[in-house]
Amino acid sequence: MPTYAYILVSLALFFVGTAGVFLRRNALIVLMSVELQLAAGTLALLAFSRALGDQRGHVFAFFVMAIAAAEAAVGLAVVVSVFRTRRTTSLDEVNDLKG
Amino acid sequence: MNPAAHSASLAEAIVFAILGAGVLAGGLMTITRRNPVSAVMSLVLSFAALAGLFATLSAHFLAVLQILVYAGAIMVLFVFVVMMVNREETTPVARQGLVMRAAGVLAAGYVFYRAAWLVGHERTLPLLAASATPPVKDFGTVASVGALLFSDFLFPFEAISLLLLVAVIGAVMLTRHFHESGPRVS
Repeated sequence: MPTYAYILVSLALFFVGTAGVFLRRNALIVLMSVELQLAAGTLALLAFSRALGDQRGHVFAFFVMAIAAAEAAVGLAVVVSVFRTRRTTSLDEVNDLKG
Repeated sequence: MNPAAHSASLAEAIVFAILGAGVLAGGLMTITRRNPVSAVMSLVLSFAALAGLFATLSAHFLAVLQILVYAGAIMVLFVFVVMMVNREETTPVARQGLVMRAAGVLAAGYVFYRAAWLVGHERTLPLLAASATPPVKDFGTVASVGALLFSDFLFPFEAISLLLLVAVIGAVMLTRHFHESGPRVS
């Protein structure tokens, strides 16, 4: 399939992830939506990597995956720690820093 | 175009359509399910289909990693946390303020503009129309990507292992009980 087909899927997936981050209020679902955005970026990297015949895109996709794993670990730790003190995972109720 | 090549490209298009639909359906179900467990399972579907798309891009190493790291490790982490903190949601969707609506419309408009730009330029930009696997030997295999990782990208590779170590220590510190302030109920 041509590269632009993959880029269109990547674009749509990134938009779905962005909609999830904007619309959902459960911190867990927001973290999952961020994972969707990162996966869309990985798909675009791999598609352009094939189009250019350059494997460095694969290395960058590998790094994106590692950073996504680190982000998930720390993000979920924050969710657990907030839940332990506030008994909620709703982002609307965790607004003490709001001016 | 000879018949064999035509049927091969048709099969490729069908596989791409199934995998792409799986990726997008999984993503959409992730952000629309009310129950976080269903959301995690939809995310697993989305990532498994995405691994298939990686394989069709001849990124074999990354396809296996996608299954192992995303659909395996990260999803297990999510399932554990969902089981720990699962609560009924009263208002799953944010209050729809005027600013959020405007931001959503702007973002959607930008995405459609970009999609139209891509489709409009597929004939003029050879990069976007390229569809063949590049004539590089062992493109996307563990051996060739690994050789690149341990030669040109050795320093970033070591830095990323340090980053993962920092993330692990940070996660442990964040979720740790501090007994000085008395045991917390959990």
